[in-house]
Amino acid sequence: MTEARVVERFRKRTVWFHWIHTAAFLVLLVTGAILFLPGLGGPAAGGITRSIHRIAVLFFVGVPIVYFIINPRMSLQFIKETLTWGKDDFIWLTKAPDYYFGGDESKMPPQGHVNTGQKMWEFIVLATGVLFVISGIFMWFLKDTLAPAVFQWFVIVHDVAFVVAFLMLLVHIYTGSLHPRMTESLRSMWDGKISEKYARDHYAKWFEETSGHKD
Amino acid sequence: MKISRKDFLKGAAGATGLLLMQPAASAMAKDSQTSEGMAMLIDVTKCVSCWWCYAACKDYNNLPETGKPSLTEPPELAPSVWTTLHPVLNENVWTSRKKACNHCTDAACVEVCPTGALSYNDMGFVQYDKDKCSGCGYCAEFCPFGVPQMDTNKITGVAIMNKCTFCHDRVTSGEQPACAAACTTGAITYGNRADLVAEAKARVAELGQNGVQATTYGINELDGLHVMYVLNDSPEVYGLPAAPETPPTGIVRNVLSWLGGGLAILAVAGFGLNYLAARFRMRGGEKE
Repeated sequence: MTEARVVERFRKRTVWFHWIHTAAFLVLLVTGAILFLPGLGGPAAGGITRSIHRIAVLFFVGVPIVYFIINPRMSLQFIKETLTWGKDDFIWLTKAPDYYFGGDESKMPPQGHVNTGQKMWEFIVLATGVLFVISGIFMWFLKDTLAPAVFQWFVIVHDVAFVVAFLMLLVHIYTGSLHPRMTESLRSMWDGKISEKYARDHYAKWFEETSGHKD
Repeated sequence: MKISRKDFLKGAAGATGLLLMQPAASAMAKDSQTSEGMAMLIDVTKCVSCWWCYAACKDYNNLPETGKPSLTEPPELAPSVWTTLHPVLNENVWTSRKKACNHCTDAACVEVCPTGALSYNDMGFVQYDKDKCSGCGYCAEFCPFGVPQMDTNKITGVAIMNKCTFCHDRVTSGEQPACAAACTTGAITYGNRADLVAEAKARVAELGQNGVQATTYGINELDGLHVMYVLNDSPEVYGLPAAPETPPTGIVRNVLSWLGGGLAILAVAGFGLNYLAARFRMRGGEKE
């Protein structure tokens, strides 16, 4: 075992899906932030960014639908994985602060295909996605059906989803690509693969269930 | 295809910086709000519902003309209707309140406008710059009087806001607004707000002596409207909320936006510290 052996963590289509969806969300984030975060409104003048926002949302909503149609089983698995919590997840939560501050890796409970933090991120993606889309539909098409006071609260739902998704996206970017411990996480979202060692250290349960016994 | 962690780090840091570090100062720049300055006083007891104000507004502001408006089906405010009448029938007599932007001192539209298209003019009215309007429509939804009107393309979402400008060009060059100039009965008076406040109170007293129960509206509402009224009935009858307020949802939005931006900056700073701390401890571990 001189060459580091690799295991497939994500399929190519999942990697594509991830980055197209990311691109769509970043466009939505920026064109939304300039209407929301204090003092950034200048570029929104003229309204072109609001049209871009509407084009981007077609991808943001459309790409997951296409992905789901092509991979219904994997998509359902993803949702199940997000919502399935066990004892190890709660242990993970208590140990995570020390771990992320460079503490002893061996104290972490073994994790499945994704760890507890990733599950929480997946849940936030799903939950804020639903909030964004529902409130967004009213803001785009159904404004006239709502009393102004009700409409205002739909805008606030959109705002809350923004704050949560934006902050958690920052956490996701940091822990997924920049954190000194997550050396192969970004790579796994690029070519879909991670080294066996990384898989064993980070996703022991998943590694045992899938690639581990292939040796 | 490969990207190095370093490149990604640089790119991500740059993008985050761009997003967060823009000065928040422009949000604070809209504060020339004043309850002084100029104003209009609308006295419903002097209005004869002749629609001259309506016609003069359309004429001066080049708004598309419509047929003769009727008191039974008065035109609603619209992108091309910046002022109209709110007629009230009482014992076979029509009394109308001229309805348009009230130019609040504490204006919800200015507070929620993300681009600074809406702002306070030194003379006291609420002005807007169409070139800056993004068409988001928050002003229309947050105005307690339902004044701003959006001209919206349903599919593309391209929109632009319209409302009474207080005849910006006229008043800034010393003239009175077109509606006030056109009014034949003195139901619309233009002048110093302080003078008009006194005039409104005197008029209510005068009406009272003649046995007409009248009230003022707009002297204190929303820190003082720059369109005030003498009403001979309750505000609601004339389509005005008794206690208008800038919606609390506007404040919630403000808090959320500052909270979101602030937490994002804290988070990025926290990641930096975490990165250094984690690296430090992990290296220590390797040496042992």
